[in-house]
Amino acid sequence: MSERWRPSGAAVAALLVGLLVTAALAVTSLVLYHHNERRLLNLRVREVGLVLSGASASVQTPLASAAALADATGGDPARFKAFLAPLVGTGRQFASVSLWTPGASRPLAVVGAAPSPAARAAVARSAGAPGSLEILNMLGAKHPSLGFEYRQAGPGRRYVVYSENPLPANRRSRLESNSAFADLGYVLYLGRSRHARDLLLTSERTLPVHGPTASEVVPFGAGAFTLVVTPREPLGGGFFHALPWITAAFGVLLALAAAAMTDRLTRRRRRAEGLAARLDELAAENRRRYIEQRSIAHTLQQALLPATLPQLAGLRVRAQYVPAQSGGDIGGDWYDVVAVGRRQALLVIGDVSGHGVDAATTMALIRHATLAYIAQDHRPGVVLGKLSRFVTGITRDYFATVLCALVDIDGHTLTLASAGHLPPLLLDGERGDYVKLTAEPPIGFPHGESFREATVSVPPGATLVAFTDGLVERRGEILDEGLERLREMACREHLDDDLLARLASELTSDDHRDDTALVSIQWQS
Amino acid sequence: MAELDDDSDAPILSVQAGSDGAGQPLIRIAGDLDISSVDALREAVGAATAAAPEHITFDLSELRFMDSAGISVLLGAARDVPGVTLLKPTPPVKRVIELTGLTDVLEVRS
Repeated sequence: MSERWRPSGAAVAALLVGLLVTAALAVTSLVLYHHNERRLLNLRVREVGLVLSGASASVQTPLASAAALADATGGDPARFKAFLAPLVGTGRQFASVSLWTPGASRPLAVVGAAPSPAARAAVARSAGAPGSLEILNMLGAKHPSLGFEYRQAGPGRRYVVYSENPLPANRRSRLESNSAFADLGYVLYLGRSRHARDLLLTSERTLPVHGPTASEVVPFGAGAFTLVVTPREPLGGGFFHALPWITAAFGVLLALAAAAMTDRLTRRRRRAEGLAARLDELAAENRRRYIEQRSIAHTLQQALLPATLPQLAGLRVRAQYVPAQSGGDIGGDWYDVVAVGRRQALLVIGDVSGHGVDAATTMALIRHATLAYIAQDHRPGVVLGKLSRFVTGITRDYFATVLCALVDIDGHTLTLASAGHLPPLLLDGERGDYVKLTAEPPIGFPHGESFREATVSVPPGATLVAFTDGLVERRGEILDEGLERLREMACREHLDDDLLARLASELTSDDHRDDTALVSIQWQS
Repeated sequence: MAELDDDSDAPILSVQAGSDGAGQPLIRIAGDLDISSVDALREAVGAATAAAPEHITFDLSELRFMDSAGISVLLGAARDVPGVTLLKPTPPVKRVIELTGLTDVLEVRS
């Protein structure tokens, strides 16, 4: 195809619809994904909060136990140290634990590192509620650290236990990769707000955190932490993260495939329509040619029939030819009326078997031969005899039925001979009868010298109607029925110029396969 | 069997070639025989007469209709073969045979 490829409208529409549906699906799945991630993040921050909150017991319990021990031992430093030693040191729970009496500026005992000066001030200053774990804010100190203070409750309780853990300078502390919370980033603030100065620990390099976050205030002893988490990876799993993109990719592929398919179908349909249109054209062309051919056949047929009929005084001669309706072939029917002298005429009507150019050619030959024989001898039996010998000599393929009738105007007689032809009808007013005539074999079959003749007398004003078999033959009935139909109609009809045309149009069926010729000869007196 | 016309009311002509008791050709024609179906019969007759038989019989007992086209084939056979018999023609066919003067040249047997 030299034409540049252009997608069909239907294919473009299919592609657009496909892409729209894909976009809608992808957006929907993206929205669902984000909604789900948000929900999961909220669940996770509460989970982490609960774990963190639970951890307050692990801080409070050893400090409270140490305070009770001090109380029981009267603040014995050795017992205090012995109790706490396993929990204090590098890699252990506390960096430093110390025993105080309220208001004192120096500890009674210290396990691990010495409390920082800030811690001393804080402990001395602290007036936390007895019997609870206080968080001491020492984030602004030179060496920022996180301190917990436990003050015994109840009357006569004299001891305060203080623990301290230093914080990394940049506050960064990564969660272990095998932790249940490895998929989260976190920021932990001291207190109930998220001020930068209250930052305790974080897993993040930079703050504030980019991306979605969820936060929770986590009670811890008498104080609280504020926890902020952010997902490091899709919480619902990688598949749901990728789903919108998978949807989009598949959708685009499907839309393209649908468009390609539509394009192909559209092209096929167009081709089929083109083909159908071409077939219609061909059919129209065939029809045109058929009509043309029929018209040619008709013209040729007319040329093979006499252009004029002799009109002798006292005699009215009419003729009608009806071509076969089916097929554009030329038929083999013909007729002639020839004047013999002034007061006689010879009627010839015949039918060459078959149709087509060969049959018509044979008909033309027979017709002209008949005219020649009539010129030699006008006795019907003799004309047919000569004709039979002639035709038997020239063709083995065609036969012809021929009726030959000599019309005597003044004598009111008809002399007829028939070579296999149907008898003519003689109309006399309301009466109509077929001329009694013994037919002899058609022309073309070997025959003796001449054909039998019959002579009948004709009443004044009578009309002779001769015809070929196309007028009376009908499938499924005896020939007599067709002959009777013709007889009845001819008796009923008015004898005028249009009689033959009316008979022909009434008696031949719409799709008659045979052509038909009719001749009428009317005595006018 | 030959169907030679595509019209809905197309005649269906059946031509069966066989032989009679004496070994002479017997052609059985059934259906409608007219200009549109005559070629099937013409072929069968051509094949039968090629062997120059002494006699040929046409069984017309199931031929419903025959026009001049059929007559010409029967006449052709009668011209080429010394004896032609038309067997049991149905009334419509018999009437065509009479009106066409074939009774003079063809033997018609009921």
